[in-house]
Amino acid sequence: MNKRAASLLCSAVIVLTACTSDKAPEMTAEIKPAPPFQELNMNVEGRNNIYLIVKNLESSYWQVIIKGARDAGDLYDTNIYYSGSYIETDWEGQARLMQEAVDAGADAIILAPDDSVMLSEKIGEVYDAGIPTILIDTTANTEKYDICYMTDNLMAGRIAAAEMINRLEDLGHTNEDHLQIGIEIGAVTSQTISERLAGFIMYWSDNSPENWELVTDIKCNEGIAEKSAVVAQELLDEYPNIRGLFGTNNSSTVGLATAVKDNGRTDIAIVGFDYSDEIAELITSDEYSAATVLQQQYLMTKLGVEAANILIDGGTLERKFVDTGVIAVNHDNINDKEVQEVLDNN
Amino acid sequence: MKASKKNKGLNGSSELFDQARSTRPMLRTIGIYLCICLAAVITLIYIFNALIKKHDEQLTNEICNLVTEKMNSSIAYMTSSARNMSAVLSAQDCELDELYSQVSKSHEGSYESVGFIDNMGKIYASETELAEFKKWDLVTVANDADRFAHISISSPYRSGLTGELVFTIFTHMTYGGGKNGKLFVTYPLKEIQNMAATDTLKSQTEIWLMDAASSNIIQCAGSNKYSIGSWNNALIKKQEIDSKYQNAYSDWKSKMDLGEEQGTLVYRVDGQLYTQVFSKADFMHGWYVVVRLPSSSLSQTLMQFRYSVLVFSAVLTLATLIMFIVSHRRQVQEKLILENLSIHDPLTGVMNRRAFDLSAEHTLSRISKNGAVLLFLDIDFFKEVNDRFGHEAGDTVLKGFAAELTSLFGDIGTISRYGGDEFLVLTSGISHDDTDAKLAELQQRISNMKITDSTDTGNFRLSFSAGGALYPRNARTLKELKACADEALYIVKKNGRNGWGWFDDGKSKDYSYKGKKPDAN
Repeated sequence: MNKRAASLLCSAVIVLTACTSDKAPEMTAEIKPAPPFQELNMNVEGRNNIYLIVKNLESSYWQVIIKGARDAGDLYDTNIYYSGSYIETDWEGQARLMQEAVDAGADAIILAPDDSVMLSEKIGEVYDAGIPTILIDTTANTEKYDICYMTDNLMAGRIAAAEMINRLEDLGHTNEDHLQIGIEIGAVTSQTISERLAGFIMYWSDNSPENWELVTDIKCNEGIAEKSAVVAQELLDEYPNIRGLFGTNNSSTVGLATAVKDNGRTDIAIVGFDYSDEIAELITSDEYSAATVLQQQYLMTKLGVEAANILIDGGTLERKFVDTGVIAVNHDNINDKEVQEVLDNN
Repeated sequence: MKASKKNKGLNGSSELFDQARSTRPMLRTIGIYLCICLAAVITLIYIFNALIKKHDEQLTNEICNLVTEKMNSSIAYMTSSARNMSAVLSAQDCELDELYSQVSKSHEGSYESVGFIDNMGKIYASETELAEFKKWDLVTVANDADRFAHISISSPYRSGLTGELVFTIFTHMTYGGGKNGKLFVTYPLKEIQNMAATDTLKSQTEIWLMDAASSNIIQCAGSNKYSIGSWNNALIKKQEIDSKYQNAYSDWKSKMDLGEEQGTLVYRVDGQLYTQVFSKADFMHGWYVVVRLPSSSLSQTLMQFRYSVLVFSAVLTLATLIMFIVSHRRQVQEKLILENLSIHDPLTGVMNRRAFDLSAEHTLSRISKNGAVLLFLDIDFFKEVNDRFGHEAGDTVLKGFAAELTSLFGDIGTISRYGGDEFLVLTSGISHDDTDAKLAELQQRISNMKITDSTDTGNFRLSFSAGGALYPRNARTLKELKACADEALYIVKKNGRNGWGWFDDGKSKDYSYKGKKPDAN
């Protein structure tokens, strides 16, 4: 009887304990590690050494950033080294690269942070070590950096929303039409994407017709190129009344453009970010209604290298945040001079 | 002892049946008891959960009210400062050029910058600020000051000077001989965010400013200090919520959209329960203060107490159950002892008279075809055994006689000590010839019994006399059957004992005295 009672008691305790146990850890996908730094221009002894860390080495957008750094390096007689992550969520890889740059004796670091929250601590560490720290493309949630050259993404999101309203009106939609707008994002932790989304929705809620409804089921491709078209297709399948699609970043825009083209949906307006081949094809087409918001990323690194040299040489900067601006490119203005100048550097 | 055991074996199946019958109500009682305990525990958990939920909601509401009040007080202080500054500058009645050169040089207080807008719309500000006025259409916000009690406040935007989120307060002023203008003061948003910081549950409290129209949120406080000041959208946050709570979230958001002062929401994210409360912010039109807290942080003590109560209840239930089972078993054992005492003769272990009568009545009522035999047996000269050898020897003789009866008839019948040295045996399914054979065997065994506990070495040989009657041939009731057997015994005794005979109903001469007369003493 005693043994039975003990076993019953143990069972009860085990059941009660099991109720409070933690969930099993989830599996995570393997990330291609960030490569070592490479020289971007001719290395000359005695010049300032600036280390550039980008978000995605394989993206055309980030190739423009690298090009801007190389040109600025030549312009300001500076040695430029570069590396970066292969996926825009690998903030840990970037943190490692920052440490490698410090260890290599970097005179300044130019960083496009994968995660403005998670990398804040490391950015602060480098800044506290007295190394000029310049952020490009994305800011960080810390005061410990020297200057940030980037698009004001809240404003960029607003411009994208205004462009979406224009595109839908061009397609002949009126305030009375009931239609939906789908949204695809590249990551949930990216400050850049969050601000673009916030700006887009802010402008939309203030300025769009009441019947033009945003789909609250926002799709996320997690920065994975292959997934971007899949989630875009999901939006089209699940919400047949969609007449507008907004992509908050390059990978999202590529996915949306691919899905729209594959489905031949000329009745859908697309507004995205950056100038990929996929969105360019739709913008230049006479059948589709598409636009993309272009950032001045070439300018970001050009200005970034210039500021780094000023700081290395003991100078100071008046501002801490510089909005490099955006331009909405569509079928109507693609041949404008101003747009062509931006496109030449994309 | 041997007889007792045999008799137990004889009635073993019925005892098992009886035990099973006595166990069934116990199991039923245990089942009911466990059901009641389970219902009590479920009720207890339900009450605790409701209590915890209510506690969480109240506490989160309190925190939200506190934070909102602090933030409102903070902005009230800022607007009051702007008004006071406006009053002081208006009193100087200078032109804005002069005033701007004064205020742009002195930078006291927590604001980032100060400037003016004249009655023609000219803005007195730095180049960076002028760009921001254009970019964010701040002139429109400034004009709202004319409508809202001479105060208007912009939505947060990123400052070019600091790279941080700021907001600008506009207030009415006069200058240059009574001309109407506006004063603007730009404050870092962190001045309000700092007000949201609370030492209580600091690591778990998340505080947002949320714009109802766009669902945009600005993080003001949270577990990760680096996430403070970041933008997000509640639509993204909503996707984290378990699907079961999506409707509750929509209801909560609807309340906000309808302009209600406060709303509470409870939901789960990956198994973690959260309480989320919004409270209307006075200072920014359309914006709300939202506080989110994990239940685990609020109700840790209550949950520990609930856990302890559950464990205690489980232990108490088990202990009660064990005590109940032990007590029941003891009761059953006592009942068995009592039953044994009421059925069996304590000396010989065979049935007593009352039990035999009941058992025999029951047996006879079931017998139909094969009939039964009732034997009335009496130890010869038993009084003499007691007198000569003592009562202990007499008891030994009774026990020995009962043991032999049980040995011969135990498997086929019921044996009883009917009183004194009289025994009754009721058998069924056995012929009188077989009964004769068994009686002869019994006679043989009894004659061989020795009275060993005596110092009396005199010659005394034990014997018995028996009378038998057949059912239903001789009688159809037990009473009559006993009378017939008794009559047969009487005849045997009359004929000199140490033998057996059958009731003579006059139908057969076979039923006469059998056996042999006892040896002379």
